[in-house]
Amino acid sequence: MPESLALLLSVAIFPGGAFALALGLGLKGIDRRVAARLQRRVGPPLLQPFFDLIKLSRKKTMVPDAACRPLFLALPAVGAASMLLAAALVPIANVYLPSPALGNMLVLFYLLVVPGMVLMLAGSASGSPFGAIGFSREMMLMLAYESPIVLVLVAAGLRAGGGDGIVLSLSDIAAYQQAHGAFLLDPAMWPTLLAFAAFLPANLGTVPFDTPEAETEVLEGPLLEYSGAPLGLFKVMSALKAVVVLNLGICLFFPATPDGLLPGLGAHLLKLLPMAAGVTLLRVSMGRMRVDQAFRFFFKWPLALAAAGIAAVALS
Amino acid sequence: MSTYTIPVGPLHVALEEPMYFKVEVDGETVRSVDITAGHAHRGVEYLTTKRSIYQNVTLTERICSLCSNSHPEAYCMAIETIAGIELPQRAQYLRVIAGEIKRIASHLFNVAIQAHLVGFDSLFMHVMETREIMQDVKETLFGNRMEIGANTIGGVRFDLDADGLAYLDAQLARLQPILDDIITHYRTNRSFIDRTRGIGVLTHAQALDCGVVGPVARASGIAYDVRVKAPYNAYDRLDVPVQTGTDGDVWSRAIVRLSEARVSIDILRQCAADLPAGETGPRERQIIPAGQTVAKCEAPRGELIYYVKTDGSPNPERVKWRVPSFMNWGALTLMLAEAKVADIALIVNSVDPCISCTER
Repeated sequence: MPESLALLLSVAIFPGGAFALALGLGLKGIDRRVAARLQRRVGPPLLQPFFDLIKLSRKKTMVPDAACRPLFLALPAVGAASMLLAAALVPIANVYLPSPALGNMLVLFYLLVVPGMVLMLAGSASGSPFGAIGFSREMMLMLAYESPIVLVLVAAGLRAGGGDGIVLSLSDIAAYQQAHGAFLLDPAMWPTLLAFAAFLPANLGTVPFDTPEAETEVLEGPLLEYSGAPLGLFKVMSALKAVVVLNLGICLFFPATPDGLLPGLGAHLLKLLPMAAGVTLLRVSMGRMRVDQAFRFFFKWPLALAAAGIAAVALS
Repeated sequence: MSTYTIPVGPLHVALEEPMYFKVEVDGETVRSVDITAGHAHRGVEYLTTKRSIYQNVTLTERICSLCSNSHPEAYCMAIETIAGIELPQRAQYLRVIAGEIKRIASHLFNVAIQAHLVGFDSLFMHVMETREIMQDVKETLFGNRMEIGANTIGGVRFDLDADGLAYLDAQLARLQPILDDIITHYRTNRSFIDRTRGIGVLTHAQALDCGVVGPVARASGIAYDVRVKAPYNAYDRLDVPVQTGTDGDVWSRAIVRLSEARVSIDILRQCAADLPAGETGPRERQIIPAGQTVAKCEAPRGELIYYVKTDGSPNPERVKWRVPSFMNWGALTLMLAEAKVADIALIVNSVDPCISCTER
């Protein structure tokens, strides 16, 4: 297969594109069902996120008069596209190795910032005051959680470098762990792991860090004015983002899978479930933080943990 | 950064009823609040003069569903005073039972919404599920979940036999441990406390200035409860410890409501134990003479005052009421001063505003 075709397939079909979208929506369905059961509700059918998406794609799109029309309509597509690309950037051990042509960990880091930026811009482009509040909240939250994640990536890179500098390729980090054991079992990486665990719900925008889109406070902030297909694209974006971030976590901390495509993929999916369940459990077991509380929290714990993680890696 | 205006209401996911706050914000901080009311005006006060005195018992019950027992209760008390009707002993206790059941359900509803507003939906679901016990009690004893139709002039429209009392007792026994558990939760859960302590503070002095009533006043340390200060029905024979807080913040108001719900369980048990035998109401309707009076009772939201003037005709000449929310929402401007946007809905809900009562 020519390399360009392989690249296209990896972005559009597997492991990005259709596969990642189906996985992301499936995880969302499980999340909603599990949360409902934990709250003693029945909950929606497992396929509800798919139904929602189909419904949204057929709905009329309303653009507010006050909105900046081109930006308002383009942003959801940019967000979804960035995550489509990002999904093809994360390796799945024994199953998928991203082509170096797509980029390394740094590219992934930049792509992961895009959804937040898109939401911020969408909030202000919508011309709604709630969008503006969502903008400022998203910005504060991003400032807070992006610094620990940089340190997390650096710590993993350093550890995989084994003392000879930093490794920037996720495939190499995964390969290093397959040779030397998972970082999950490496005490020097535990502070980094905890910092990543705090980053997860913040990046996914779930309780307690769903402040920018809090329904009861700012009426879903940036998403308030969106409807129809553009709103659907935002749902696609967040579903893909969940897959990217969870895959990244697996790749950084316990990539080992059995040989072979299907067993490898099966093991990968089995690892996704408890991580997603953890996010669900956190989301139903507490309330939302105010944005200033979340900001302080991130500069207190995850940042300190991530810094301690770097120190631990450097010392060991 | 310059200030800009955000509209909270008239229809807002966080408010159950239409109310419009024009909030001037600077970043996330509230600079000024303008409250606009009148979206739920239905002209009920005028309607009361077009209905007969007896029809108004039904009409006043429909002013608002959460206080739907307190309105006809105060109205009946006023008419009974004008007509000089002595309420039978048994009816006095039964009115207390109806009122306290409604109080528990109303308070649980409010604290549940409070949890929803801080994004703690599991707690919201749990409290609402607990409230269902009281909803079931209402449906079983009165036949309805909200408009229980318990009052009539000179008595009550329901009676409790041994089965009914046993059922009530069993449901209270079911509710009590869950409610105790919920109270512990609201007192100790970090996630809830972090969002509600020190938020929307109304100091003791401010509370006195605003003349707030009900749980809002008691959370600011004013031990004012109509059931104790001016006992009506059987409250003079019952032990009603007044629940007060000291901080006057959103958290204190939630705790006062929960403690009152807990006290209501004890009151219901006292009533069930002391329930005297006898008539529950008059056999025949009386002609209500001319006269005017004021009656008041403690609704779940606070002191509810009814003024009724009759002229000897079948219809009352004037019925006017002052609802607790009218006193409490004025204090919102003080509570919302310098608040964060994130806390607006939380603070508004903490006074438990009843818009349909206030705007009728």
